[in-house]
Amino acid sequence: MKMVSLTRRRVLLRGAALGGLVLGSRRFRAVPAVYAAGPVTLRIAGTGVNQFKELADKAREELGFTIQYTSLVSDDVVKRAVTQPSSFDLLDSEYWMLKKIVPSGNLQGIDVKKIEYYDQIVPIFTQGKLPDGKPVATEGISPLKVAYLTAAKSKDFANTPSEWMTVIPTVYNADTLGVRPDLIKNPVNSWAQLLAPEFKGKAAILDIPSIGIMDAAMASEATGKVKYKDKGNMTVAEIDQTIAIMTEAKKAGQFRAFWKDFNESVNLMASGEVLIQSMWSPAVTKVRQMGVACKYQPLKEGYRAWAAGLGVPAHLNGKMLDAAYEFINWYLSGWVGAFLNRQGYYTAVLDTAKKFMTADEWDYWMEGKPANSDIVSPTGEKIEKAGAVRDGGSFYERIGHVAVWNTVMDQDRYMVRKWNEFIAA
Amino acid sequence: MGERRRPPIFWALALLLALFIAFMYGPILTIVVLAFQGPNGGLVFPMNGVSLHWFAELFEPQSIGDIRGSFDRSAALGLAVTICTVVFSFLAGLGFRRRFRGASLLLYLAIASLVMPSIVVSLGIGALFELLGIERHWYSSALGAHLTWTLPFGLLIMFAVFNRFDPAYEEAARDQGASGCQTIRHVVVPIVLPSLVGVALFGFTLSYDEIARTSQSVGALNTLPLELQAMQTNATTPVIYALGAATTGLSLAVIGTCLAAVLWARRRRARYGSDAGRAV
Amino acid sequence: MNRLARAVPYLQALPLSAVFVVFFAVPIVLVVVVSFFDYETYQLLIPAFSLENYREVFSEDVTYRTYLMTVEFCAITWAITVTLGFLIAYFLAFQVRSATWQMVLLLGCSIPFWTSIIIRMIAWIPLLGRNGLVNQLLISLHLASKPQEWLLYSPFSVIMGYVHLYTLVMIVPIFNSMMRIDRSLIEAAVDAGARTSQVMRTVILPLSKTGVAIGSIFVIAMVMGDFVTVDVLGGGQVASVGKQIATQLSYLQFPPAAADAMVLLVAVIVMIALLMRAVDIRKEL
Repeated sequence: MKMVSLTRRRVLLRGAALGGLVLGSRRFRAVPAVYAAGPVTLRIAGTGVNQFKELADKAREELGFTIQYTSLVSDDVVKRAVTQPSSFDLLDSEYWMLKKIVPSGNLQGIDVKKIEYYDQIVPIFTQGKLPDGKPVATEGISPLKVAYLTAAKSKDFANTPSEWMTVIPTVYNADTLGVRPDLIKNPVNSWAQLLAPEFKGKAAILDIPSIGIMDAAMASEATGKVKYKDKGNMTVAEIDQTIAIMTEAKKAGQFRAFWKDFNESVNLMASGEVLIQSMWSPAVTKVRQMGVACKYQPLKEGYRAWAAGLGVPAHLNGKMLDAAYEFINWYLSGWVGAFLNRQGYYTAVLDTAKKFMTADEWDYWMEGKPANSDIVSPTGEKIEKAGAVRDGGSFYERIGHVAVWNTVMDQDRYMVRKWNEFIAA
Repeated sequence: MGERRRPPIFWALALLLALFIAFMYGPILTIVVLAFQGPNGGLVFPMNGVSLHWFAELFEPQSIGDIRGSFDRSAALGLAVTICTVVFSFLAGLGFRRRFRGASLLLYLAIASLVMPSIVVSLGIGALFELLGIERHWYSSALGAHLTWTLPFGLLIMFAVFNRFDPAYEEAARDQGASGCQTIRHVVVPIVLPSLVGVALFGFTLSYDEIARTSQSVGALNTLPLELQAMQTNATTPVIYALGAATTGLSLAVIGTCLAAVLWARRRRARYGSDAGRAV
Repeated sequence: MNRLARAVPYLQALPLSAVFVVFFAVPIVLVVVVSFFDYETYQLLIPAFSLENYREVFSEDVTYRTYLMTVEFCAITWAITVTLGFLIAYFLAFQVRSATWQMVLLLGCSIPFWTSIIIRMIAWIPLLGRNGLVNQLLISLHLASKPQEWLLYSPFSVIMGYVHLYTLVMIVPIFNSMMRIDRSLIEAAVDAGARTSQVMRTVILPLSKTGVAIGSIFVIAMVMGDFVTVDVLGGGQVASVGKQIATQLSYLQFPPAAADAMVLLVAVIVMIALLMRAVDIRKEL
């Protein structure tokens, strides 16, 4: 297995070098003859969150496509998408980023008629409700708000579902606080505890303003000091109040650190620098894998959710566009979905993913039932022993209790300025 | 100079240098220790077993991130940047020894390039290429971006090198009938050669480690630091520590070997009185 | 022939100039133009001539506080690196004497930089953290009764990070300057009865001030523009101008970021111009 992939890599490298030499900078431009002659290479830009080699290998095996990842930190994803759309063929974007990217006109609407599993996409994205019919939280940028375009080439979001989607949803999840149950005395059950004196110097939040402000808002609201009309779209006064509470806590030494990426959060938690912090699901799994106790603590105020999808840049056409559609359809056809579900995320088309998971896996990840046998990560490491139950429970218990989605506010400019002030305080 | 007795200040400063080197290797120490984490270990203490697992992983394709490919690109880019930096700044350093119009402007341009926050430069280059419809690559736009970073260093170090460089050497050569090029090749270059090695070292180190200027100018394929940075958005394993430990170990071994070779050659030369290597 | 000779310095400076024009001047002009644009949340760039972005930069209290903090870091870092750099360069140039050993020691100092900054930065946590090596050492030696938390995520760790990164950058130009000092000057001073410290102060320091100035330019420029070190070692809780610009850029707020960058550029150029007034680094070429 490893031998094979090594050889493949060498072939790819040689091919890429050759292509680069022969065709120079025009290699990726629309030169149909080249694509007709050679195999398809899809360049996917996005964060490292979904860029698994296993996935690229599988795509090569089943579609014959070469997947070339451009891994970026989340800040750079938006910048690339807006300023350099020609540098990728597919964009792995989060939904809140679309508010920034779509007005640039760099994405083309995705024709839902060409999406094979469109009807089976969880209605969170197409109707704003859960599969059981309950409505989904609307605070923040709930996916439906930015899911559709008014036309194929449009810079405007459609208020009601149209034939053109901005991105095809791939993964989403409900985030909460991670805690070290072995080192904290009283059980944690509220976002307010992020600001509790007992965690002085041992708490952390993320320093990505648009996400950090949501955690701050969840905590501030839980303390009862602020009431929001819509946390996902605060007024100037609400931003001021939130930042004031956070600044006060910061000055009192509440926070050990602010983290920027996934891995930092793992390190902070595993090393014991921090006992309570905002965290992402696979990060909790990772800490546990290292033999350190860590819980993805459900809280009474609910979760902060996010979603991501695949977008097609405006420059794509002809065979490359067909390839992009083919890849997206394959993405939703189940194998990838199962892979992502096992990663602790949720996939957009649940029915197809179920076919690629064992009943036990499905029960553990989706139904919140105790595992009958050991739970193994998509890359083959054991992550839970038999008998373990997923933190937060089933899909409905978690996604059903989303309080707010990651967002870009109308007062974004003001918020970022205030956030900078908070950091400087 | 003969073997004079070392004054006390020698030992005081030797101690200072030793402490400084220990400080420089501080993070390397944790990197090396943690590179031997067990298969389930993370990037921080506690150690979770001891193994060579991550060194073996280093040679396997990673689930997330292409360390091998990006390493190759970074090494090639670093090499290209090094060569350009040495040649361009050496030439410019020579140029600056005479007055020419625009010299001040060029100097301040170089300093501005050093001062300007790298992300701004990066964004500007990325946007410029997009505007002109030219594809960005590590060997085109990113090479340029790196040079805006390394050349100011190269140029200013050349200033320190040519600082009070006695023109008498060149005049003597010219009096002997050497052409301009010959003078540079046989007189100037040999004198400043050790410093040129210094510039090369600077160029490579700065380029190999560059993130901000590369981020928006690199195109679809990442350099090593960018790939490592992007890997941070997912679970990163001690394989990156294994990479650091291996890099350090290899560099130390290479330098150790070179040093041994030089010392050996010198002893041999001293013994046989050969004049090899002393020619102009 | 004469005309050709006059063209020589221009030709020599050409490759360097070309790089700066194409990859620096033009892109920056692009950015400067943008700094006068207006912007809104969902529309990135609105061509206009607006001084609003600059007004915003100057009217905010936080700007001054951030600049002050950055300048403070810069001053402390400079003082430490210039002292260390001078002493170490002196040691290498005048006490070590053997070219081989000079090279080996300089290389030895550069090797840690060949491990990517991303990896080195992560490694500070297990070194200086609450349960890190240093704290374990302090406690086992009974130098401290509980973990010292100021070692990491504090102004201390930020400055330590700068010293770690930039001392070498100070050493190299000073060392190069010192290598050009005529040894007979020092022997003459010694023969005249000067003590080592006097030689250092009255002969070596004035003669190596070009190197000191160049090293200082490097350190000032790098600290003023930094946002990686301050972010990682400050635990995201310490502000700097570079970080502020990075945040704005990541929110695609190009105009204020560009405005901020211009202000930073002017501030640093002024600092360096003052330095050059004291030491004209081109005079003694």
